[in-house]
Amino acid sequence: MNGSDSNLTSRRILGRVAPGEFVGRVQELQRVVTQAAPENAGRGMLLLMEPSAGVSELLRQAYDRVFDQKSDVIPFYFAFTRAETTAVSAAIEFLNAFLQQYVAYRRNEPDFCHASLTLQDLVELAPVSDLEWVEQLVNSYKRLRFSNDDKALVRFCLSAPQRIPARLGRPFVMLDGTQLAEHLNGTVVLGTEILKVFGRSHFSYVLAGLRRQILEAAHEAELLFEEVDILRLEQMDSDQARLLVENVARRQRVSTTEEARDLLVQQFSGSPFFINLILQAARDTRRSLTSYLDCERLYVDELLGGNIHRHFANLLEEISPAVESRQELVRLLWEAIAGGQTLVAFDALRKRLHLAAEELENVLHRLHVYEFINWDGATVEAGGGPQAWKDYLKVRYRLDVLSEPRALVVADALTDALKRAPHLMAQSYKAMARLGLRELLSRFDCQRVPAALFDNALFSQKYKGATENEVTSGIDAETELLRLPQTVHVSSCLGFNSDMRQVCDEERCMVAHTFNEGSYTDAQKVIWLAAEIESKLEVESDLAQLWCDRLESMAESLGLRRFQIWLLSAEGFSDEANSLLKLRGALGSSRRQVELLSGRVGGSAVSPVIAAPDGDEFLVVVPMGEDNELIAAGAVEQIASRLKFGREAINQIKTAVVEACINASEHSFSPDQKIYQRFRVENDKLVVIISSRGIVPTGLGTYPGGSAADSNQEERRGWGLKLIRTLMDEVEFERVDEGTSLRMTKYLRHSTS
Amino acid sequence: MEIPSGAVRSHCIGNAAVVYASDYLNKLTGEKIERECRRQLDSGCRALVIDFSDTQLVNSIGISILLGIIDVAEKNDAQVVFSDVNSQTIQLFDMLGLTRHVLLAKDEQEAISNLSGFLTSPIVHQ
Repeated sequence: MNGSDSNLTSRRILGRVAPGEFVGRVQELQRVVTQAAPENAGRGMLLLMEPSAGVSELLRQAYDRVFDQKSDVIPFYFAFTRAETTAVSAAIEFLNAFLQQYVAYRRNEPDFCHASLTLQDLVELAPVSDLEWVEQLVNSYKRLRFSNDDKALVRFCLSAPQRIPARLGRPFVMLDGTQLAEHLNGTVVLGTEILKVFGRSHFSYVLAGLRRQILEAAHEAELLFEEVDILRLEQMDSDQARLLVENVARRQRVSTTEEARDLLVQQFSGSPFFINLILQAARDTRRSLTSYLDCERLYVDELLGGNIHRHFANLLEEISPAVESRQELVRLLWEAIAGGQTLVAFDALRKRLHLAAEELENVLHRLHVYEFINWDGATVEAGGGPQAWKDYLKVRYRLDVLSEPRALVVADALTDALKRAPHLMAQSYKAMARLGLRELLSRFDCQRVPAALFDNALFSQKYKGATENEVTSGIDAETELLRLPQTVHVSSCLGFNSDMRQVCDEERCMVAHTFNEGSYTDAQKVIWLAAEIESKLEVESDLAQLWCDRLESMAESLGLRRFQIWLLSAEGFSDEANSLLKLRGALGSSRRQVELLSGRVGGSAVSPVIAAPDGDEFLVVVPMGEDNELIAAGAVEQIASRLKFGREAINQIKTAVVEACINASEHSFSPDQKIYQRFRVENDKLVVIISSRGIVPTGLGTYPGGSAADSNQEERRGWGLKLIRTLMDEVEFERVDEGTSLRMTKYLRHSTS
Repeated sequence: MEIPSGAVRSHCIGNAAVVYASDYLNKLTGEKIERECRRQLDSGCRALVIDFSDTQLVNSIGISILLGIIDVAEKNDAQVVFSDVNSQTIQLFDMLGLTRHVLLAKDEQEAISNLSGFLTSPIVHQ
């Protein structure tokens, strides 16, 4: 088959999606393809996959890329499946697939990869230049096939790529699901054989499978680690996973919304495997996923009888083949999770499961490989695995162990999932809003930075009310500099004191071990205790004091001799709080200071703001901040003028819109940082709907009573809603899956015209 | 390093400082006014006139900052007058009870003349 370069690059051979549709693993794909390059000839790659991180499509895409390069590298992709029950049958399948793909490549006819061809067919289809060695290979196979020497047959099949004459090219073998090879029955341990054959070969290869199992097998096969590269494949980050959901939903023709998309990403922790499963199920059942309820209904159906159910049921069967012990295993695993008692003794397990020690070891080993437990040979730590696994265990436990009515289990699973969804999203939005303390601290490396970046009082005094340019040039001109220490280790404070979990998120309080001037002596060792205080306003002195006390107490309990407290807050600290920080020898920074600091120590710790999309004539979408509420106010002014509202009424509507926009910006952890405004003109009224995505704190929609001017600073920030209610005729809050929609109506009155 | 006060205009008449608010009073412009007012108070001013003749729109954060300025002025025994405030803004100040804490003047001249008695009284040191 011939074609232009552009046609070739877009050719889909083994890939299930077109190259342009493959998202989220760009760097990993490049690394796998690079493994086939001449400079990596003879080197292997272990692709260590986190469970359900999805590797198959990555390898198939790599195959297609290498195939299309038409170089002397001959790609071969083989996936072990549960359909193969013995090492011999898997090895024969390997040989068959190899020859088929080889002939397809040599003839440049990709369709042969999918054809149903016998070995004899392949001999006949082989190009003339290949005929001799292919014929020899097939004849040797036929002789060995009936020799009753399984080990020799398996080794022969696996070494088939090595038999390609050097003048015809060099093979690049990609094996997918290598962990499955371990479970094949028979006298030959296929997993070890693969590593032995490939580890001693002179061609490039990639072995992909579950990370724990692959590493273990590599050690058992005494693989030379200097000759292999390691590529770790984990779940996708949120951005990549969102892109994946959008692409797969489009391909599968499943309607989704941004809210539903983000929920799927969070609920499945960015797992391509589960994202594909759920969207496939949506397509199969012709359901759209446009709300949390849609998503959770389908999810629960999947848990109880769909693809997700089958996936976990198969795994459980593989892990614990006997029905009775499997049910007891479900009981033990779920009770450990539900009771929070995750450490289980080996002997207790053996008695409960009625298994011999060796059988239990096999079960535990498999659970460990799939990362449902951590087992070091002595202790068993249960409670691992993705959320879907825990939900699956729970429904199985209730159905199989407690024999509860199915309808009740379904209803509870659905309501639990729905209740969990907003919390899940709130966590992710809070994570996005974090200042990125861990990364920032880890980049401290003896840089000299303006001292004002750690002194909120000084920064406020000098730069409060200053424009961006003034702040930037002012900071650039600062002469009083502070030399940062060199950070050697950063960890969440929860790792040092689990009680801190009650007062802060894991990533909001860090302990950094540092050395001043990069000098590794006791005298220069300083432990930085940094905490990001959650507050929409300037932090007051009582809260600052509480945090200083907390961190000092932690330092004392850890026996830290020299430590430095650093408190951070988005809006900085009040004058009194700054005085207190000075008194306590603590540093203080606002978000703006952190942004400036981050720019000086390399990288960007603060989450980027996403740009807004286009809007139509009555839908205005503006990014939060930058006085963009004025754009909304300008738009509503034009629309209200058309309706012949009077000047006073127009001003009232404008002010209400400005306040609503400020509220939307201040009171939500918005993922897209956009404010959506709908202006609807009706007969005698103007309806304005302002909405934003994000989780809104409870209590929004109410405002403090009494005289506003007598209220404290915190209460003053609640004035916006009071103004809106006074200025508009009708104000209504509507809670949606995530965020709030504020609907405001102003009636046209001729007296105000 | 001294940062210029940006777009905030101001001048002094005797012991009174006249500070001009911009067309949109929000967090940033409010903080600029606050900064200028604090600077004037630190320099010995005993009265502040905040002129709103250019101000078309105010928001609640801007108003909360104005209250902060009133608090600071009170602590410094200084008087605050708002001048040339449009009716829409007065309506908002009324709603939030701000007008109970400041004098309102038609324009800058009226503000200064209202303050004349206050400014000529001697400073009493205790």
